[in-house]
Amino acid sequence: MTRHVLAPGTMVMLALLSLFLLSFRAGAADFSPASTPQIEINTVNSGPRAMEALTQQNVVRHYGRAWQSLADAFDRNTLVSLNDYFVGAAKDQLTGTVKEQQRTGIHSRYLDQRHMVDVVFYAPEGDVVMLHDTVQCDLEVYDGDKSIHTEPAVLHYVVLMTPGADRWVIRQLQAVPQF
Amino acid sequence: MWSSTTTTTPNRSAGRAAFLLLAATGLVSTSFAQTVEMRPPTAAIAGQPNAIQTSGSGEATFYLLGPAHTSKQLVNLGHEIQLPADQLRAAGKYLAILCSSACQSASFFVTAASPASLSFLVHPSRVPVKQENAISGVAFPFDKFSNLVLSPVTVDFQLKLSGGDSLSRPTPTQHGVAWFRAYSGNHAGAAQLVASLGDLSVRRVVQQVASDPCNLRIRAQRTAKGILVETEPVRDCSGNPVPDGTIVTFTETGPGGKSTVDMPIKLGVARVELLASAPAVISVASGVVMGNELRLGAQ
Amino acid sequence: MKFLMPIVIFIVTAILIALGTAGATRLGATTGITSGSALPGLSSSARTPEEAVGKLLNEIQKRNWAVAYGQLADNSNVDLDLFTRDLTGTNGSLRTLSGLESWELQPLHATNQEAQIRTTLRWSTAVGPIRDVRDLNVVRQGDVWKVVWPVPKFPNLPAQIVPVTYLRWDLVTPNGEGVWGDRAVDAPHVRIVSMNAVPYQNGSVVMGEVVNEDTIPAFVNVNASLIDRGGKSMAEESSFDKISHVLLPKQVSPYRIDFPDVSFQDVKNVRMDVKATLVPASADPVIGIMNQQIESDSDGRNVLRGNLMNESGQAVNIPHVIATFYDSNGRVIWVSDGYVDRPLLPQLPEPFAVELPGPIVGKVKNYHVVVNYYNNSKS
Repeated sequence: MTRHVLAPGTMVMLALLSLFLLSFRAGAADFSPASTPQIEINTVNSGPRAMEALTQQNVVRHYGRAWQSLADAFDRNTLVSLNDYFVGAAKDQLTGTVKEQQRTGIHSRYLDQRHMVDVVFYAPEGDVVMLHDTVQCDLEVYDGDKSIHTEPAVLHYVVLMTPGADRWVIRQLQAVPQF
Repeated sequence: MWSSTTTTTPNRSAGRAAFLLLAATGLVSTSFAQTVEMRPPTAAIAGQPNAIQTSGSGEATFYLLGPAHTSKQLVNLGHEIQLPADQLRAAGKYLAILCSSACQSASFFVTAASPASLSFLVHPSRVPVKQENAISGVAFPFDKFSNLVLSPVTVDFQLKLSGGDSLSRPTPTQHGVAWFRAYSGNHAGAAQLVASLGDLSVRRVVQQVASDPCNLRIRAQRTAKGILVETEPVRDCSGNPVPDGTIVTFTETGPGGKSTVDMPIKLGVARVELLASAPAVISVASGVVMGNELRLGAQ
Repeated sequence: MKFLMPIVIFIVTAILIALGTAGATRLGATTGITSGSALPGLSSSARTPEEAVGKLLNEIQKRNWAVAYGQLADNSNVDLDLFTRDLTGTNGSLRTLSGLESWELQPLHATNQEAQIRTTLRWSTAVGPIRDVRDLNVVRQGDVWKVVWPVPKFPNLPAQIVPVTYLRWDLVTPNGEGVWGDRAVDAPHVRIVSMNAVPYQNGSVVMGEVVNEDTIPAFVNVNASLIDRGGKSMAEESSFDKISHVLLPKQVSPYRIDFPDVSFQDVKNVRMDVKATLVPASADPVIGIMNQQIESDSDGRNVLRGNLMNESGQAVNIPHVIATFYDSNGRVIWVSDGYVDRPLLPQLPEPFAVELPGPIVGKVKNYHVVVNYYNNSKS
């Protein structure tokens, strides 16, 4: 009868692999598809300049990432997430909010985001675009671990985006009662 | 084959007692929980203080979450909760949450204050003369807290071209933005653009530059070293001198091969001395515009 | 049995060592490894013309200038300093950033007393390999063959004052973000005026011309994406150095973008993208390109030759020549480029040559050359 004994190095590798798989599974919730905002865009009302197809794709992609980073910033109370897709007044306001959340121990979650985006203005030189965004999401507010507010929210935002070095960034993000 | 399932019926008397106990507890807690109401403001303006009416008694924790603000404080129910101006600077949606034994929430909106600044974007910063719809401008009114003013206001666009032409165009904002397009003038020089809103005024300058060279012509004369080739003053089709530094390419083709020199315009003229051996053909170009040719016969 | 593997490994290693040390190399030596039959530290006489040239080049490769100089046939004709400068370069030229990588020898003719060897030197430079062909004379002195090194000619540059009156553009960048809309200085307007995509050597090449339509200098880069039949991007490349990046107003530059791994048959569409940014620049130096002609060189390759003339008062350290070739319809059919490994001294001509692929030569109706350059010191 032959005994098959695994070499020590192989056993270490298998142990590390198991740990990795376990940690991946535990963190799987962080990478769930639900955390990626869904965006539908309508450019029929875009004017005075018609939005090019490639620009539309980029706006959708970068707007989605901006909201994803906003949700991340508000949930984990981290400012780093706001650096990539926000500039100007939008960044100042969001930064102020996150800092005060850090101070008070509050954090909020924007879950299952669904955005219906209407392009209402696209500048003649293509250097600024205005969006009307109707957001449906689950809004949860926590004081520490205690949930203090939960609602299926419908929010309306007027958004100004401008092209940065390699992406579109949000310059103004202002909620309104209706469009 | 038969299969039997045994079901155990719970003790009815014990279940009834538990139900009664729970109901009693609920009634007691209901009698201690109070109806807490919040009346948020209905027409809040950015930067103006406001208040939220509350009912009930006792203490509660009040949370205010806004676009640029988050706060948490202990309040006495039944009194007004003051919202100072600095908490309501950002326009947008505010969520007020009051937690005593349970949490209640109410939301309200803050709108932008009156316009205090104009963001005026003008393109391009340099434009060739005599171009249709070449200059465009977009204006956004903001209040003093950097909130976009969405209520309609009228922005007056004025364009003063070099050469005396001017135009004025009052334009109401739509969705918080006003824009215009205009032609570039016939003469090179600085065009002044002003966007005005009440006492607010923002000025931008667009440099109108000469278009592509027109009627590019060269003349040549023999020198001791070779041939001096010089352009006539390089102008566009409107007569505007093409700026110094613009590249003019001189090409000489002869029996010894082809020679080219990229020469910048200096004081309106480009010149080069070619070591040309006749016969030769000398031509000139600038960008995609070709000029005339000179044919030099054998000496 | 358990010792079988180590024994096999030992035997194979011994065989490989023997193969590596036995026999002379046919091609040029690899840098740092001595070739030929002489062992390091011991001298031996060159018994053939090829051996003489090979020994000399060995020392040049190792940068043993004095030892190499000592092997020349007649030292009195060539100064050591001149000999060294001829090989190491001057004035920050590309040669000063180069090393001799390998060489090929081709005897042209030989008698008992003298011979001529065509020597193709391959220099490894900062911008890629450069080929340098020299016909070296070798003479026999007693039993030994020695190389007669051609006397290097360095132009005598007279002292002079050259006024610089050409235009210069400076770029002022503001501090901080400022108010939105008040810092608008548009990027320069550049336009791709032509594009031609062709198959080349199992790959694909995209080439054409781009013009600066603006009144200010532009730093230009041209990118291309190859799109397949399904509309997906197969590859994306940049023009890299096959373009004159800094374009003055109304200046035209060719560009060439290579896709060596993408078969042209798979390409359905090409998407072009040109990026231009503001950059400080000067209209000086002006470089003339004289006496351009398409010829065959000594190896039978088709080349576009000419002379570069630096009209300014400062040396150009590393000139880069880019040539555009047009067919009878004025369409760009090829773009070649090459570096000159000698500096362009003021007012002195310097020859250049760029190679042209054989299949293209018959279609060339016209050509245009531009000169790019890199300087070690800023003007």
